[in-house]
Amino acid sequence: MAFSNLFFMFLFLPICVGMYFIANPKYRNAVLIVFSLIFYAWGDAVYIWLLLACCCLNFLFGKMISFGKGSAPKFGLWAGLIINIGLLAGIKYTGFFIENINAVFNTNMIVPKYHLPLGLSFFTFRAISYLVDCYWGKVKAERSLSTFLLYMTLFPITTQGPIVRYETVALELHSRTTTAVDFSEGLGRIVIGLAKKVLIADQLGSIVDQFLGSGSLEHQSVLGAWYGVIMYALQIYFDFSGYSDMAIGIGRIFGFKFNENFRYPFMCKDVTEFWQRWHISLGTFFRDYVLYIPIFGKRRKFGGLFLVWILTGLWHGASWNFLIWGLYYGVLLAIEMIIGKKTMKKIPIAIRHIYNKIVIVIGFCIFYFTDLSELGQCLKSMFFMGSGSFTDSLLISSFKSNVFLIIAAVICCFPILENIKKRVLTIKDKSTFAVVQNVGTLICMALLIISGIFLVNATSRPFLYLQF
Amino acid sequence: MTHEEIMERLTEVFREVFDDDTISINDGTTANDIDEWDSIEHINLIEAVEKEFSMNFQMREVSSMKNVGEMADIIMSRAGSAVKKKRGFFR
Repeated sequence: MAFSNLFFMFLFLPICVGMYFIANPKYRNAVLIVFSLIFYAWGDAVYIWLLLACCCLNFLFGKMISFGKGSAPKFGLWAGLIINIGLLAGIKYTGFFIENINAVFNTNMIVPKYHLPLGLSFFTFRAISYLVDCYWGKVKAERSLSTFLLYMTLFPITTQGPIVRYETVALELHSRTTTAVDFSEGLGRIVIGLAKKVLIADQLGSIVDQFLGSGSLEHQSVLGAWYGVIMYALQIYFDFSGYSDMAIGIGRIFGFKFNENFRYPFMCKDVTEFWQRWHISLGTFFRDYVLYIPIFGKRRKFGGLFLVWILTGLWHGASWNFLIWGLYYGVLLAIEMIIGKKTMKKIPIAIRHIYNKIVIVIGFCIFYFTDLSELGQCLKSMFFMGSGSFTDSLLISSFKSNVFLIIAAVICCFPILENIKKRVLTIKDKSTFAVVQNVGTLICMALLIISGIFLVNATSRPFLYLQF
Repeated sequence: MTHEEIMERLTEVFREVFDDDTISINDGTTANDIDEWDSIEHINLIEAVEKEFSMNFQMREVSSMKNVGEMADIIMSRAGSAVKKKRGFFR
C-alpha cells in the first residue's frame, strides 16, 4: 500500500488518525503499532515475520550494549551489526553475486528468485544506527519492547525512510502531543507531498517511459535523450521528496518531528552541496557511521569517501549501474575536494550551475538504466554518438503538450512556498492574515481534490524508492 | 594545558586547515559557522588536530562532537595520559 493510493489516503489514514485521537493516550502507541503492522502486512504479508524478528533481536542487542557488563556490549554490537548487515546483504545481493559468478566462470548455479522484504534497506539501517548510537553512548537502549517495536515499524517511515534516528524520536516515542499547528501543518505537508507525487512525478513518469523506455532508445535523438533524462531527474525528485513530505506530515499529525530529507537539491552550487540537500537521512547515515571508519590510515580521506560512495551505490540495488553510479559520484566529489572550495568559489556562479546540473543529470542517467547496454546506448545518444538525429518531431510535440507541467515542475524546485510562508508569518494585520490563511487552505483543498481525481482516473505508479 | 591554551593552539590549526587567517573560534563554534567545514574537510581538521596535540580521537568522537568546545574537552581529557591510545574500530 503506497501513500499515493486512494484507499490509503481516504480510508486507512483517516481511520488511523481517528482511532489514534479517540484512544486513551495510554493506548495511542498500541494503536499506531497495530496500524503499522496492518500497513506492512498489506504490502508484504510474507516478510512481516522478518521485520518482527529483526525488531526483537535488535531490542535484545540494544539492551546488551547499554546495560550489559564486561564484553557484553561489544558482543551485542558485533552480533547486531553482523545480523543486520548479513540480512541486508544476504537477501539483497545473493542473486547478483551468483549471476556474476555464473557469468565469469561459466557455471550454472541456480539464481534464487524471491521478492525483497518491503523496506528492508531502510529498517536494517535504522537498526544499525540504533545499535551504534547505543554503543557510543549517544542514547540509552530502549527498555520497553513495545516502544521499540513502534520505532521499528512506524508506518510513515518503515517502507521508504527517511532513516529517522532513534535519538531524534526517543522522547516522542514515550510521550508526545499534537498541537493544532502540528495537525494543520502535517495535513498541509501530506497534501503537498501527494500533489508532488500524483500531479507532477507520475505525469513526468509517462514522458520518461516514452523517451527512455525500451524500443525508443535505438534511434533516440540527442535532444530526445537529454530531455528524457532531465525529465527522469525531475520525476525522481518529486517522487521521493513528495513521499518524504507525506512521511514527515503523517509523523507530524501523530506528534513526531522527523528531520527533513530534502532541501531543494537542485539549488546546489556544486555536487558536494547537492548531496547535502538530497536524501539527507541516507547521506548523514553514511557520514556518521562509515565515513570516519579508521581503517585507511594515512589515506583516510579518500578511503572513507570511496567506501561511502561504493556502499551508497550498492545500497540502491544489486546491479552494476548502481556501483558505477556510486563511483561516479565518488570521483566527482574527490575532484571537487582536490580543487578546493576556495577555488570553486572563484568560478562564475552561472558556470558552476551549468556544470553541476549537467553532471547530475548524467548521474541520473546512470541511475536509471539497470541494463548496461541500454545505458551505453543512451549515453551515446546524449553525446552525439548515436544513430539518431539532433532533434525529432516526437520531442517537439511532447514538449509542447507538456510545457505547463514542465514549467510547474521547474518552479517547484525552488523554495517558493517556504518564502511565501515566511512572508505570511510577518503579516501584522489580522484580517489580511486570515484571508491569506484561508486562501492557503483552499489551495490545499483544491490540490487534494485534483490529486484524488487523478488517482481515480489512473493507476498510480508505485513510489520509485520502494524498490530499494 | 589549560582550556585557553588549547583554544589558542586550535585556532592556529583551524586557520591553517581552512586557509583563512581571520577565523576565530570559541566553544560554541560549529561546522555551520565556518563555510569550508563540511564532512570531508572534517577529516583534514581531525588529522591536523591529532597531529598538533599528538593524540587520537575515537570514531565515536569524530562523528558526534557537536562544537569546538567538545573537541577541546576531549583534547584536555587525553592530555593527561602520556601513552598514545591506539585508535579502536567503532569505539
